[in-house]
Amino acid sequence: MAYVATRGGERAIDQSERLYRAELGQIDAARVAEIRLALPMLIDRVMGEASLYEPDLAALALAQAGGDLYEAVLLLRAWRTTQPRLTIAEPVLQDQLFTHRRISAAFKDIPGGQILGPSLDYAHRLLATGVLQGQPYMPTPVDPAATPAPAHQPSLAAWQKAQGLVADPARTEVAPDDIPDLTREPLLFPAQRAHTLQSLARADTGGMLALGYSAMRGYGNAHPTVNELRLAEAEVRVRHPRGTVFSAGRVKVSQAEVTSKGKSGLLELGFCATLGWNEVKVISGATLDLNAPGAAKGSPVEEEFFLYHTEPVEASGFCIHFKLPHYVTFQSSLDALRGAKTATPTQPEKVPA
Amino acid sequence: MFDQGEDPAQPFDHARLLDVLARADSDRLAALAEGVLASLGPVEVVQSRTGLVMLPMRDTVQGTDFHLGEVLMAEAHIRAAGTEGYGMIVGRDLTRAMAMAVVDAAASLGQTPEIRAFLHREAAEQAATDTARLREVEATRVDMETF
Repeated sequence: MAYVATRGGERAIDQSERLYRAELGQIDAARVAEIRLALPMLIDRVMGEASLYEPDLAALALAQAGGDLYEAVLLLRAWRTTQPRLTIAEPVLQDQLFTHRRISAAFKDIPGGQILGPSLDYAHRLLATGVLQGQPYMPTPVDPAATPAPAHQPSLAAWQKAQGLVADPARTEVAPDDIPDLTREPLLFPAQRAHTLQSLARADTGGMLALGYSAMRGYGNAHPTVNELRLAEAEVRVRHPRGTVFSAGRVKVSQAEVTSKGKSGLLELGFCATLGWNEVKVISGATLDLNAPGAAKGSPVEEEFFLYHTEPVEASGFCIHFKLPHYVTFQSSLDALRGAKTATPTQPEKVPA
Repeated sequence: MFDQGEDPAQPFDHARLLDVLARADSDRLAALAEGVLASLGPVEVVQSRTGLVMLPMRDTVQGTDFHLGEVLMAEAHIRAAGTEGYGMIVGRDLTRAMAMAVVDAAASLGQTPEIRAFLHREAAEQAATDTARLREVEATRVDMETF
């Protein structure tokens, strides 16, 4: 058995790419701007999974990939490698988030109150078919309250820790430069918590939902209730050469804690956050985090299982690589199959004595 | 954050000045930078580039700092008139970052009435934008009744 070198297909490859791109037509700044304006949720999802916050580039990636999310994420992850790392910002703290939405399903009267923010949670899901008949859909504007909501909301988990409802483990201060970083080191198991949470922040929304949902349906150890869900903007706080720390602008982030009653008699919490607003992702991720301690090897809520299988570029790349020529491997399987057939003549079935 | 910028007699501290410049309206910031540029004389551009800033977040369960992801930012760093100026903004607009650096350098030589008026106007506008949004957010507060 030897490798067989083949050539050919160059023209077919070239024309195949042309055929794909021809269907997408001309991509211009107007198309990118329209995608950015019309599809903010999709832009957020792509930025989160790409782990790169830049809405224009995300819109461009979507335009170029024709909406194929995995292609778009791959384009952005690849483009990211052309850029230098300028610095590491100050850590974002929950009670410093400019909060647009903040709810708890577990506690009715949370300090700071329940603020629905922008949400379709209680909306009727009706398709506005009139739009196709030429009647534009105009949303009804919000009636603003007389007084503004506080920009920052207290941390529910901090309150729960103070009340003795949730364990409050001592934390060790880590300099931003020393925070473990998956873009520079491999994911090893058992994973450091910083790696787990970074990996969840970059993970594939659909994959996380599938695995998180399996835990919600009962294939996990703990049933989740949303302790706190936030959609917010985080200040990107960086350092001036003279040492002054300032905010260089805001980025959208989402964050969820889910809870269940633990064996210790305390409430246990799972956590997940990501760039962009993506509620399904952070609730699923927090459910996986809640269920991970003590999970059986090979179970969907075991961290190696869910972190490896929700990495969008690796998973989609592995899946689509099966389309590439495997003639040698497959030929060898075929040879083995044929060999086995020749070596073992068909025998009549024996009846046990 | 919302109570500053009221008293035009008060100079802005450096952090507040940078906060306001980073969120300032592009066109007005560029116009101000054009205006103050002459006072700086020859300018040495130390850095003008886009790049990535890693954004860490603190987990609320165990207090672990972890990386949320990278933000594409524009950075400008200049030296002029014996001082330096620095601009960094979310996004990839190098002109805006450079305008911020120019105004930062000029302000470090003294917050002229022109610069101060600009900062007050921008700060007021930014606060108004936030307040308008937060009034909409407040409208979604749930007033729950228990039967």
